[in-house]
Amino acid sequence: MKGPFALKLAYIMTWVIQGGYIVYLVGRFKRVREELKELERGK
Amino acid sequence: MKLLFRIFIALTVVALAFAAYEGLVVAPTEQTMGNVQRIFYYHVPSAWTAFLLFFANFIASIAYLIWRKPAADAVAAATAEVGVVFCTVVLVTGPIWARPVWGIWWTWDARLTTTLVLWLIYVSYLVLRRYSTGTQTSLLAAALAIFGFVDVPIVYMTIRWFRTQHPSPVIGGGPNSGLAPSMWPPLLWNWLAFSMLAIIVVVARYRLQMMEQEVEARHAQAALQGSTQ
Repeated sequence: MKGPFALKLAYIMTWVIQGGYIVYLVGRFKRVREELKELERGK
Repeated sequence: MKLLFRIFIALTVVALAFAAYEGLVVAPTEQTMGNVQRIFYYHVPSAWTAFLLFFANFIASIAYLIWRKPAADAVAAATAEVGVVFCTVVLVTGPIWARPVWGIWWTWDARLTTTLVLWLIYVSYLVLRRYSTGTQTSLLAAALAIFGFVDVPIVYMTIRWFRTQHPSPVIGGGPNSGLAPSMWPPLLWNWLAFSMLAIIVVVARYRLQMMEQEVEARHAQAALQGSTQ
């Protein structure tokens, strides 16, 4: 693996990991909000 | 408060873009390694941020053991999870740098091995929190976090205690260590930007944890009401 390719790959992988986690968090937020709304409705 | 948080997010995006520019364009090209050395500007700040997050997890875990406040438990959960994300970046970018420089992806030297162990400790912490169903989960997690944190200073000191394949420290590594002065601003900008990102994600994860605690409490309340009727 050549240096410039490794550099690009490292920067891309960093943002894939960070971005992937943020997307996962947003999904969890949506699910918990829905669940809270349902609990409110069921009161 | 919401407006302040949004301004902080906007500032973080600007800081991340500027830090990437500093690391990729402004920083000088290292003489022996060439451009691949620029991975350092993502790898090292991610490691420092992960250490800080694990330290915050350690403090929050002690606070939980003393006061048993759900907020302390939520801070511990948030910092551990975000810390694992940053530690994953360290473990991924390190081998990508090592392949062209050392000719190998991985070696079982002290720094690399203890970092992998650190990641495994905090992944087990998250697995414990996720799949343990007992009422003592937070207590067990806090105890694990306190013992687990012992590995953080060990990881930090490995390149001082042992001769490792990993490069020697750039801070506090002795008279012949250190960075070229022109490499400091890109490094510090990236650390600042990643720390700001970590704050945003920890705050979001903390809110999520508190919401999840509320859902659990309401479910428990509903179940209790159902059983007494």
